[in-house]
Amino acid sequence: MRIVLVRRKKPLKYGGLVVALLSLLSGIFVFTIFAWLIGVNPYPVVETIVTTFIFPGVVKDFIILTLLGYALLIAFKGALWNIGAEGQMHMAFLVSIYITLIVFFTTEKSLPLYISIGVILLSIVAAVAAGALWGGLAGVIKAYAGVDEVPVTLILNYIAYFIGDILVYGPFRGKYVYGYARTDLIPDPYKLSIPVQRQLSGNALIDTVTGYMAEFATYAVWLVALILVLIFTYWLLNKSNIGLRIKILGSNPDYLVSLGYDVRKTMVLTFMLSGAIAGLTAALYYHGSLYRIEYPLEYNTASYGYLAILVAWLSMLDVYLVPLSAYIVSAVILGSQRVSSLPSVREAFTRLQLGGAEMAFKLLMFGSILLAYSILRFIQDYELKVVS
Amino acid sequence: MSSPLLSVANITKTFPGGVVALDEVSMDFHPGEFTVILGENGAGKSTLVKIMYGIYTPDKGSIILKGREVEIKSSLDAIKKGIVMVSQIPQLVDRLTVVENISLSLTRIGMFETMTRVRRFFKEVSEKIGIKVNPDAKVWSLTYTQKQLIEITRAILLDAMVLILDEALTYLPMEERRKFYVYLNEFKEKGRSVILITHKIPEALEIADKIYVLRRGKLVGALDKASANIDKIRDLMFGEAAKTITYERFTKPYETPIGDIVLNIRNLVVEGDYGEIAVNNVSLSVRAGEIIGIAGVVGNGQRELLEAIVGLRRVREGRVIIDNHDVTNKGVKLTRESGVGFIPDQPLRYAVSADNNIVENVAALFSRKNFVVNWKSMRELSEKLINEYGIYPPRPEMHVKLLSGGNIMKTVVSRELEYASKALVAYNPTRGLDEATSTFVRRKMKEKAVNSKLAVLFASEDLDEVLQLSDSLYVMNRGVLYGPFDPVSTPRSKIEELMVV
Repeated sequence: MRIVLVRRKKPLKYGGLVVALLSLLSGIFVFTIFAWLIGVNPYPVVETIVTTFIFPGVVKDFIILTLLGYALLIAFKGALWNIGAEGQMHMAFLVSIYITLIVFFTTEKSLPLYISIGVILLSIVAAVAAGALWGGLAGVIKAYAGVDEVPVTLILNYIAYFIGDILVYGPFRGKYVYGYARTDLIPDPYKLSIPVQRQLSGNALIDTVTGYMAEFATYAVWLVALILVLIFTYWLLNKSNIGLRIKILGSNPDYLVSLGYDVRKTMVLTFMLSGAIAGLTAALYYHGSLYRIEYPLEYNTASYGYLAILVAWLSMLDVYLVPLSAYIVSAVILGSQRVSSLPSVREAFTRLQLGGAEMAFKLLMFGSILLAYSILRFIQDYELKVVS
Repeated sequence: MSSPLLSVANITKTFPGGVVALDEVSMDFHPGEFTVILGENGAGKSTLVKIMYGIYTPDKGSIILKGREVEIKSSLDAIKKGIVMVSQIPQLVDRLTVVENISLSLTRIGMFETMTRVRRFFKEVSEKIGIKVNPDAKVWSLTYTQKQLIEITRAILLDAMVLILDEALTYLPMEERRKFYVYLNEFKEKGRSVILITHKIPEALEIADKIYVLRRGKLVGALDKASANIDKIRDLMFGEAAKTITYERFTKPYETPIGDIVLNIRNLVVEGDYGEIAVNNVSLSVRAGEIIGIAGVVGNGQRELLEAIVGLRRVREGRVIIDNHDVTNKGVKLTRESGVGFIPDQPLRYAVSADNNIVENVAALFSRKNFVVNWKSMRELSEKLINEYGIYPPRPEMHVKLLSGGNIMKTVVSRELEYASKALVAYNPTRGLDEATSTFVRRKMKEKAVNSKLAVLFASEDLDEVLQLSDSLYVMNRGVLYGPFDPVSTPRSKIEELMVV
């Protein structure tokens, strides 16, 4: 009799969901143990993390990360490891800023609706194009020069950051910024968020519910975009010829060749689609929440482009699981931020002379969750069996 | 009777998707015995030996080596226990020399031999088998036969007690195969055991001391040399379908009318993977409704020729004209769009996307022009192909990687034959298919050529196939095309001679 590891005949039912949730739980568990080891009472740590999952502040990150998750999902399906969503977003920011702060700049508090909508739409379209071109550039380098896309997209991120830095120091620097290296704020008529006023009732449950409603109302336009992108991604991958080509590219590009498709063009196209959605996300983020960019540029996105890689992986490239995994990632980021600013954690760090290590502490939870995820991902595909 | 060297008992294996590959299979392999395992495509032959070689783990059952139950954890473990497998495709590093390749595998299991000793031993064996291979030649420059020789030499050097040949000799030319038999007989006389996997009955009858027949994962027969004959085995292997097997010609050459020239190849010169001249000044033409076969031992330029015709490989000199359009070096897209079906060598590598299902694989070819794929019609087409060609299991949503090698081949052949409207270019169209399915595929090719006025150009390492199917045949050897010959009146010996000289 012996125990062997074999591949499952059928994937686990609801496996994706179970894996995502279990890795979350075990990651939090490992993190709490660590907190306990440095002398922090685990109770407030767990409480903070858990309550973050029902915390309205998650909504913003959730929408942005879902959108970016879809951008990367498309590239990953084609086995193109686009880690350049950051750069694609930044190029999109720059064109949006050019349109809203240079070409159509206004100090008016309000403009006729058709002008507002026209400028916003133009900015979005230009951002989508910029993202697609920056993504497509990575695709061209990969397809025609044969350079691996991982370093290429990463390098293109930095090129985008630095182009932005130059512009923010130079022509894009605002008139009303008191010497800071940043752009002006976006004119009010071009803002996409809907300001919502709400009164706190003092009841935690009611405030949470109204909080979510307020957030969703504020980012209503983003939500509409999210639904459209979801539908588009599903349609692309499951109905269209391009999606089929992307999937075959991810599995066996030689087959594409013998069918007479142009593999290089397919690569570039895949990157462009991925970059286009990243560009769209950037425009929405700029018009709806960021409002300006400032030096150094990489701080503007709070690493969304990289976090989206986690979102796409955590979803196991399943179109339906992207929002779930985006929600988990957003809650974990926010939760770990809140934990590292807990008084007991700060105190422990000071005691251990680790002041300033909060950042690392924040990442620790992320690491724990990813570790648990990779183990569970394996269990989803394989099982232990006793052979007699 | 001696006790078996190796036994498998009650082996059961089910694959993802619930396909039962093996169902309670038990076999004994005695020392000094040459055992052949026969079966049609997807019968479970390869699965069984992969279990013995530690590649798969059985769901149930045991492996008994020299009377003791053993657990084979990996191929490395199998080699250490004296079980060595040689597969159909040589697993050698192309950029290294012969001796380097052999030493590589020795050090991997912890044996250490000097290059000089390896070189000496290698020479000994190769002289015995009568094939000259320079031990310092780079592997890429060798022919398929030579590579297989190296594989077998390596297995012997690894001190194999049980030598498993998974279709390893099937594609060798008759002449070479005979030489191997002599050597293998000597090998088994030393109290060792040889297991050969094949779907070719004549090959089995040539050499087997004992024959096991598998059908749909079950052991349906165990015959010894005296009681085995081709009809009996065919019945066991195929049941009812055995009656359909034939190597007789379907029609006499040029009995059915042919039309205008569809494929016109003029003075083609094509380079191989390493810049060598693989196709040397080849000209031929194929008319609508005509079937042209190219016989030849693998590695003589057939693959490069066919790839150049469909646009997968650059043409250095000469012209490829399809349907009066010059398509030389204009890419696969153009040839495909002009209605050319193509069955490449190594279909698993070039002709399917394993992570996608059958419908998606079919749609990739047929919906090439549609921006939105019509999935309903693609599914219906897939179901039609599955039914017509008996692809098993009959599930259009099955991922191709879960199908057996033969069923993958059927998927490819059915798809390409269905797609071809002007011409079909095929390399080993029935490679890896069992006799009943091969006959069926050849019949389909013939039907399609006659009914749809298809120009068919195919190359095959199976001379019987070329003789059965072609209206005219050519022989390709070292990049040069000889012919055309009449398949009925030309003596077989003349063709065989041209293939190897």
